[in-house]
Amino acid sequence: MARKKSKFSLLMWLIFSGISGGGITGYLKPNIPIIGPLIAKFTDKGQNLAAGGGNLLSESANGLLSNQASGSYGATAVTGRLASARQPSNGQQQGAVQPTTAAGSQGNGNLLIASFNIQVLGQSKISKPGMKELLAHVIRQFDLVAIQEVRAKADNVIPDLVTTVNSNGSRYNFVIGPRLGRSNSKEQYTYVFNTNTVEHDPSSVGTVNDPKDLLHREPFVTRFRARTQSPAQAFTFWMVNIHTDPDEVPEEVDALADVFQVMQKARADEDDVILLGDLNASEKQLGRLGKLPGMQWTVSGVTTNTRKNKAYDNILFQGQATREYTGRWGVYDLERNLGLSREQALQVSDHLPVWAEFRVWEAPPPTSPVGRPALYN
Amino acid sequence: MNSATTLQHLLHGSPSERATAAEYLAQQGPEAAYAASELTAACSDTESVSDWAVAALEELGPPPSSAIDSLVSLAQSEKPLTVYWAVTLLGRAGPDALAHQQVLVTLLQYSQDSAVQEKAAWSLGRMQATSSEATQALQQAAQSPESRLSRVAAKSLQQTQT
Repeated sequence: MARKKSKFSLLMWLIFSGISGGGITGYLKPNIPIIGPLIAKFTDKGQNLAAGGGNLLSESANGLLSNQASGSYGATAVTGRLASARQPSNGQQQGAVQPTTAAGSQGNGNLLIASFNIQVLGQSKISKPGMKELLAHVIRQFDLVAIQEVRAKADNVIPDLVTTVNSNGSRYNFVIGPRLGRSNSKEQYTYVFNTNTVEHDPSSVGTVNDPKDLLHREPFVTRFRARTQSPAQAFTFWMVNIHTDPDEVPEEVDALADVFQVMQKARADEDDVILLGDLNASEKQLGRLGKLPGMQWTVSGVTTNTRKNKAYDNILFQGQATREYTGRWGVYDLERNLGLSREQALQVSDHLPVWAEFRVWEAPPPTSPVGRPALYN
Repeated sequence: MNSATTLQHLLHGSPSERATAAEYLAQQGPEAAYAASELTAACSDTESVSDWAVAALEELGPPPSSAIDSLVSLAQSEKPLTVYWAVTLLGRAGPDALAHQQVLVTLLQYSQDSAVQEKAAWSLGRMQATSSEATQALQQAAQSPESRLSRVAAKSLQQTQT
């Protein structure tokens, strides 16, 4: 059994240089601080590689959109938002607000962002009759889904799934990270997103560097922007996708506090960080991560697994920075929404998607009492 | 699928039966603990079985004490992923597996697989291994240039000394 990091080039482990700047030349802004043990020292090699833009993506298989070496978002012009009736179905465990009939992102101008641990998402799962279609249906409920537990040696699983998502005319795309894990059993993270409503910055995709090996499966980060007719005012944000090791949860959650803080400072022009995934920790077990100033999480008081006895999936952000959050969230109940038995739902996954709604427009920075912009921690 | 049939399929079934059994167990969470050693062995099966076996083991929690002896045997397997998970489950067993600490000490000292070494160090801490051999091995590992191994070993030393 090989050590997990031997397969990845130094390029990949300096990947943070690829997410710190804007555009080709912005990767290694010298004022980016080195914070905590999770950020590697920037080197000339990393700088040169980062400046190549697309080279950073060589080890993560991007989807249908071409690699945008220019560092701009997406590949197509914004032509306006489709008016679709898509919305999360009723009958799900709820957060503070029940979804309305026009609750979908395309109905009311908001984004629905979800996290979904799809247990052992690999060839055998998507080969089951009806499974791809079912997963596609779930994915279409959301504008952007952070998926954990892609387990496949072949690279066709997510492309095939996204093809199915798009079989009804939808236009989803994906970005996927490297295979990670300390044993020979590895997982990938992926983001699947509706290109009609969300675009990603190809120059801001990567895996958090972890030179002290604090995290079993280092988070996969990507910067996104709501697709609107006024990109300069659109909501932009980092997504930090995580699946912790259930045997080292306190240590990993503690390390994620560092990750979050690093990501908050990754770009001077980006204050929104959404950390989401399967933390293997309930809201009471978030440790230092949960105690970061202003930290907020959406899932509270409900279970998030199919067997309805654990609440390990969550979506976290700094509440003062990410005021784009509307307060609406939920857990998508596979049984109730899809008319499945418990056994059938477990065949889909032992986890349920959790989701949160965000406005598509960037919230203005909060001001201090005297009207000057406040500084974030 | 009842437990006896599940184990039968996992151990002796056709490839698809073994995969189906492993998948079923992966969906059971800690309730699949009765299959701890069988799942550990199944880690070295074909990919379609192994992926589900690993998923099941991640969610399994601690093994029953009845599985400890077979896990100790599996910790001495030639198959790396089986060893990794056997060591992990022995660690999760905690003090119940203390009688077998020497197996983990040997792995910590001599395994060529760094992930197994790290898990062995972790497991020795979990089982509160305090034999002189365990302490010595952990002390040595705590000096390792590999940061994760040294960190895990140092923490395990702290755990065994409390």
